Amino acid sequence: MSLVITNLTKQYNKNKTGLSDYSITINKGVLGLLGPNGAGKSTLMKIIATISKPTQGTLFLDGEDIVNNPDRIRKVLGYLPQDFGVYPNLNAYEFLEYIAAMKGVGGKDLRKRIDMLLEGVNLTADAKRPIGTYSGGMKQRIGIAQALLNDPKVLIFDEPTVGLDPEERMRFRQLISDLADDCIIILSSHIVSDIETISDEVAIMKSGRLLEKAIQPDIIKQVEGRVFETLIDNSELTTFKIKYLVVNTIRQKDKVNVRYITRGSGSEPGSVIVPATLEDAYLFLTQNS
Amino acid sequence: MKHSFTLIKADYLQRTRSYSFLITLAITVYAAYSFVPPTNAAYTTLNVTGYRGAFNSAWVGYVSATMTAVMLSLYGFLLVNNGIKKDIETEVGLIIATTPITNFGYLIIKLFSNFLVLLTIAGITFAVSMAMFWVRGSGVYPFIFADFITPYVMFAMPALFVVSGLAVVAEVFLGKRSILQFIIYFFICGAVMAGINSPKPGIPTAVFDPFGLSLVTGSIKSQINTEFHENIKEVSFGFIFAKHKSFRTFEWNGVNWNAIFIISRLIWMAFSLSLVYLSSFFFHRFDFNQTVSKKKKALAPDYQAGSTDTNPSSITTGTLPPVVTDYGIFPFIKTELLLLIRKGAKWFWLVTGGVWIAMLFTPLDIAHTYLLPVIWFLQVTRLSELVTKERTNRLHYFTYSSYKPLLRMLPAQILAGVLLVVVLALPVMGRYLIGLNFYAVFNILWGAIFIVILAVCLGIVSGGKKLFEIVFFMLTYGVTQKIPFIDYLGVTPHPDHTAYIAVIGLLILSLGALSFFVRNYQARHL
Repeated sequence: MSLVITNLTKQYNKNKTGLSDYSITINKGVLGLLGPNGAGKSTLMKIIATISKPTQGTLFLDGEDIVNNPDRIRKVLGYLPQDFGVYPNLNAYEFLEYIAAMKGVGGKDLRKRIDMLLEGVNLTADAKRPIGTYSGGMKQRIGIAQALLNDPKVLIFDEPTVGLDPEERMRFRQLISDLADDCIIILSSHIVSDIETISDEVAIMKSGRLLEKAIQPDIIKQVEGRVFETLIDNSELTTFKIKYLVVNTIRQKDKVNVRYITRGSGSEPGSVIVPATLEDAYLFLTQNS
Repeated sequence: MKHSFTLIKADYLQRTRSYSFLITLAITVYAAYSFVPPTNAAYTTLNVTGYRGAFNSAWVGYVSATMTAVMLSLYGFLLVNNGIKKDIETEVGLIIATTPITNFGYLIIKLFSNFLVLLTIAGITFAVSMAMFWVRGSGVYPFIFADFITPYVMFAMPALFVVSGLAVVAEVFLGKRSILQFIIYFFICGAVMAGINSPKPGIPTAVFDPFGLSLVTGSIKSQINTEFHENIKEVSFGFIFAKHKSFRTFEWNGVNWNAIFIISRLIWMAFSLSLVYLSSFFFHRFDFNQTVSKKKKALAPDYQAGSTDTNPSSITTGTLPPVVTDYGIFPFIKTELLLLIRKGAKWFWLVTGGVWIAMLFTPLDIAHTYLLPVIWFLQVTRLSELVTKERTNRLHYFTYSSYKPLLRMLPAQILAGVLLVVVLALPVMGRYLIGLNFYAVFNILWGAIFIVILAVCLGIVSGGKKLFEIVFFMLTYGVTQKIPFIDYLGVTPHPDHTAYIAVIGLLILSLGALSFFVRNYQARHL
């Protein structure tokens, strides 16, 4: 199964471009989307989810045009939007039955499927409460359950870990790993560590363009040998930031421990070279583009 | 003061920058045009039996201002009584609650914002009224600007201020119970209007009339009685349909304003302010622990007992029962009905049930003309939410990306809505069926489809609930007043049955087609 996106452009108006000449091929496994706000991650996801039409470009799922035939992907789509809501007067069962009807899932085993999904997201005990009484994390979990109702082959998660506590985030990561063998999973997050632990491949975006798409080691390789740490005075920090790309600072009394990436070849005297991470590479690519 | 102005401005802009407000303004232009009917029209707006004013500046200006005060007092309330509700929905209220602004300060901002919204609409009718002077006038009378602006300033604007205040007070005390707000307000308005038309001797009506219309009607009445030696007791206003009769024309030059009247307007405005001030002591300030019913279930705990012991990934797709496809729309209809039924307070079903039972026993004509429109109007918040709830609840991401949303979801919503209103009409339909009056049964069925399609169309096009709620209110008022061209329920006899059915059918088709067309666009352009 593969999703081939070619020269995709989304122009909202004369001054606002969501995506610009964006091409990417997505295969089975987990693709993590990283990018600052306004990079076009949600726009890309909405276009793949068929709720936004591109201004230009094509999108093919296994050779079928889904811009002109959106129902082709809708049958196999699981989508968790960033800012979704629920009907507060329905309970979890009723809500999932409703979403199942939308997705065209029925049959006598539907109830059992819903039961198992609710158990999987740890909501069985609250399944008969109105969703209006749920906390943010619980709503997020019911969002995850609905995405899996139709045994999706394309799963889109837009900021899925927002509102989840550390334990739930761990459960979610594990779940994604289990699903990844069988389908395409596209996941966006601002939390680089989520992408780092879940994704097979990473796509870094900025201003509606694709900066880089590769497996994590290949992306990290681009900053390998350029990441350093050093201890400087508090007062030096402002000038330091002009000279280097500072990725992290930890205050220690009058000193600051700075993690930075060199723009050229030279590093600050007394610095220690450290192993690069995805976050370093992401910041380097987005700042330097 | 400067901050208050900024807040009022922001609130006003937020409420007026919407498609539904734009549509409201467009309707206003048409309504303002119809306020001053031509001499051969089948209706009048300021009615004195056998007489009509000459189209001079005073007549056109006062008629327009009177109609603006009357119509905006009725539907303007519905238009603006959601200012606080919006802050609850958008959760801006939570931010406001943490600022130093006082309850009274906040409610005053809402009052002035309401007032500005109504003034914007009144501004349109005012502009159109001046244009109407040239459209309807014969060129004999001079254009006098003061005749147009004075009635607006002297009674229309104070009336709108009172309405703005009442809308705030209604929101504070009745919160989400919008239907109850409509009903109470409608009765208050009805009582006031009746008071204006039937003055009690010895009581200075103008002072006790919040709309200030009795001074105008009194002046017209007095001039006709003096000039033509008549004994006319009633001057009515509103859209009044009657067979065309010949009129005697008289020249009326407006009202002589007196100090008592002007003071009475100020008193009414002060009264409105006082009510808002009093209500500020009961304002929830977005702290719903104090205001929600004790019965409401507490927020579910985020963790379940023993959740830490569960398998970190207990969903394994391989173990889930296989997916069976079912693209039917019946599960949708079931859930849509469930949502319709659960909407609103449970006790309100008792009111609906009471009216439903009353329709079985009251004279059939009364049940058809009054109770049926009323029982349907009691469902206004349910119907207005039929196709807007996805957006309100941010569920449209799911619905629009579902399989064939247009051919499955939308028809299911329409069918659920029709089913609800038909069930509510069963007593009247049943009684007509027993009397073998199939035409009446068909009319009601047609009306049921029409009103649901109208809710769907206005909801989809405007993206909000308000427009339909106002239109439905006006339609209900029109049907109960037996206004022929508003009669979508067949309560008045129509000379050509086939044409009547065809017109409603055409409307249903057009509104339906527009709904599908616009929703199709919306579903692909989030």
